[in-house]
Amino acid sequence: MARAIEERPSAILEAMRQLREDAASYRGIWSWITTVDHKRIGIMYGVTALAFFVLGGIEALLIRLQLATPNGEVLTPDQYNRIFTMHGTTMIFLVVMPLSAAFFNLLTPLMIGARDVAFPRLNAFSYWVFLAGGLFMNASFFTGGNILQGELGAPDAGWFGYAPLTLSRFSPGEGVDFWALGLLILGVSSMAAGFNFIVTILNMRAPGMTLFRMPLFVWMTLVTSFLIVFAMPVITVALFQLLFDRLYDANFFNVDKGGTPLLWQHMFWLFGHPEVYILILPAMGIVSEVLPTFARKPLFGYPFVVFSGIAIAFMSWGVWAHHMYTTGLGAVANSAFGVSTILIAIPTGVKIFNWMATLWGGSISIKTPLLFAAGFIAMFTIGGLTGVTHSVVPSDYQQQDTYYIVAHFHQVLFGGAIFGLFAGIYYWYPKFTGKMLYEGLGQLQFWTMFIGFNVTFQPMMILGLIGMPRRIYSYPGGQGFDIWNLVATVGAFLIAFSVLVFIINVIASSRRKEKAEADPWDGRTLEWSLPSPVPPYNFKEIPTVHALDDFWHQKYAEDERGRPVPVVAGGSEEEEEEHGDGHGIHMPSPSFFPLIAATGLPIIATGLIYDPAIVAVGAAVLMVGIYGWALEPATE
Amino acid sequence: MRTRLGAQRIHWPRLLTVALLLAVLLLVLGCSTGDPQNTFSPEGDVAERQRDLFNLVLWPAVVILILVEGLLVYAVLRFRRRTAGELPAQVHGNTRLELAWTIAPAILLLFIAVPTVDAIIDLGRAPAAGALQVRVTGIQWRWQFEYMDIKDSEGKPLTVFDELHIPVDKEIGAHLEALDVIHSFWVPKLAGKLDVIPGRGNRMWFNATKPGTYSGQCAEFCGLGHADMRLRVVAESEEDFQAWVDDQLNGGGSAGATQGVPDLVSGGE
Repeated sequence: MARAIEERPSAILEAMRQLREDAASYRGIWSWITTVDHKRIGIMYGVTALAFFVLGGIEALLIRLQLATPNGEVLTPDQYNRIFTMHGTTMIFLVVMPLSAAFFNLLTPLMIGARDVAFPRLNAFSYWVFLAGGLFMNASFFTGGNILQGELGAPDAGWFGYAPLTLSRFSPGEGVDFWALGLLILGVSSMAAGFNFIVTILNMRAPGMTLFRMPLFVWMTLVTSFLIVFAMPVITVALFQLLFDRLYDANFFNVDKGGTPLLWQHMFWLFGHPEVYILILPAMGIVSEVLPTFARKPLFGYPFVVFSGIAIAFMSWGVWAHHMYTTGLGAVANSAFGVSTILIAIPTGVKIFNWMATLWGGSISIKTPLLFAAGFIAMFTIGGLTGVTHSVVPSDYQQQDTYYIVAHFHQVLFGGAIFGLFAGIYYWYPKFTGKMLYEGLGQLQFWTMFIGFNVTFQPMMILGLIGMPRRIYSYPGGQGFDIWNLVATVGAFLIAFSVLVFIINVIASSRRKEKAEADPWDGRTLEWSLPSPVPPYNFKEIPTVHALDDFWHQKYAEDERGRPVPVVAGGSEEEEEEHGDGHGIHMPSPSFFPLIAATGLPIIATGLIYDPAIVAVGAAVLMVGIYGWALEPATE
Repeated sequence: MRTRLGAQRIHWPRLLTVALLLAVLLLVLGCSTGDPQNTFSPEGDVAERQRDLFNLVLWPAVVILILVEGLLVYAVLRFRRRTAGELPAQVHGNTRLELAWTIAPAILLLFIAVPTVDAIIDLGRAPAAGALQVRVTGIQWRWQFEYMDIKDSEGKPLTVFDELHIPVDKEIGAHLEALDVIHSFWVPKLAGKLDVIPGRGNRMWFNATKPGTYSGQCAEFCGLGHADMRLRVVAESEEDFQAWVDDQLNGGGSAGATQGVPDLVSGGE
């Protein structure tokens, strides 16, 4: 009897030791290729998305160079059209979405007290499909002839690819095929991730982690995942129609045969407007975590912020035609969509006020994550207010398709989403790398990016209002456009410099000797209770959650006046080793099959463009991947 | 110690204030210049109504912007952490306050909705029967204008390219059609844009209240020549317009303008 009692903890300790060893051998390229660990997948998502960010940024710089002066000759009209199309497509589908997915992956299991996502191999599959889709899409650059002589082959019809300009008759070559098939592949990735996170959040929360004790970021992940699951099928249908028109002479959009170009716009924006919130809600979630931590105050009006996020998601389905005011839908439709666009400003405003109230009366530590989060509020407010001007339909007839719109959505997607995501990068970087980013370089990056952003995009507001349409490869002098375009180009290079500072910061910090603490920012959510970097199994013991911001309440009690008082530290980290939960920790085994299955998709897509025989090869690869996946045991 | 901290943070409010002032200044500058496509200096009833409506929203938005940004900067500076162990009161929310800032914007926004819907209906009406009817056809990458009620000796409507002449103070009914892809008809000083969509006849009305030449261009991306798909609207007195029409009908102008067009028309085939 006494022996049995002695043996049980030692068996657990032995299992723990084994896991440690595994974790120690948890390196090398193969361990990354076969990983099903949500943290590693998150890191891969992040690194890949940042690489695409640099690529999309270079495209942006080319655009700005071309437009810096009147009658620019840096690019030919053909090159310009392909590059702005790829800039938009890249930044939306290959940067902001996967960067958000990186945070979903890194944080969701940790924040809800789980050891991994619900379907770890599906998660790996999502990542590999995303990578495959991104590479496939960019491969189109090489289909135009000799790329070294500037013969580009990328899509040339803009990121929202309005029919009939996308039909073979007006856009010959394979560019648009690559674009449509690339988006379909990326859609598979997004759908898989969307379902995975919905199931993870609904089913895998630790005991006591009720929905209304979930960190706001988890809420936004849930809402975004639902949006993805409902929005992606809409664009999938539209893309299939487009491909049928292009590849098999169908007539969905071909007017000569009775097709309707406007059908594309309705389908695209029915996906496209929820997509806008797919891009911004995760950043809102990040900001809602960063502000309370750095102000040492709980999020002001947590239920209001949750419900306004849900309200925004619902309403995002009812505003799509505000992208189409000038298509002549008629007074009734324009009035209805004008009013629904006005209404969506209300929950958005609520969020901004609640964030301000969170800061109010706090003890604000002005560090890089807080700066980016405050920058988010400052810039997103401008994005929101210019958004309200779009609801004034007749005045939007003037602004539609001008640089005013370009300025507005960069205000939201760069000033909003990208600033929010950088807040998240600086905030959680130590948790996953074990190294702090340098604070001085971080502040330098923030200020150069913030100033660069404003110098680039505020002049675009003026450009639009004084009549410069978007997507023109050049403009003649004497229209008042010259100076503002030059200013915007200068700003763009300042942004590029700020990104360079970030890259330097990452490299420099990787050489840092000192290890990051487990809880460097005095965090509130469960991930800060774990060591940095987080071990593969996350939690030695699944925590029991007693409150919103549970980890904060472990550190601080409230006195009778509502003021927090530090709880005397119990050194729980050292103790944990003694308390096994009696089952050991089984982590899912690594697998090659998600990668194999994902590889099948771009092969099938290539075959659809060039040769049905290649489709068969791709399908075979996909089947091998799926069969192997199905037959392989999930854990050893 | 506190002064040192303050000295380090001083660039915060300064930079943000400067950025904001700059943004407002730029906007004002933008409004005051006489650029050929400036939406702030309309010369037609439609464009004027649109400008007024924009200003109606712009100025309240600027006030809200300054308030929000000001409060944000103030909050970050006023409540910055002064000592490492500082712990503020844990305020979780205030339902009344939150309801207030949900309802107040809703009421404010209602004031925008009413004039918006009103203008949508006014500006969206069909062109009057007595208007000068013009069929506008978007072709990659030119504009064709047919005066539907002005016929030449063969009974064909007077047709010109890229330069539309109109009498001043007269309503124009534009019937928009496209031969190939979607274009958008836009002369900023006269009226906001309306898309020119193949297979869909959109209609709009506009006028010019002052004689002059007004610059416009295609506003929907339409391929390689999108940036070059420009047009001019020449608004002139009734007599000058008649003289121009007669001149066109009697030879010269019309034939010259059509030169090279058949090529372009079939360019998309």
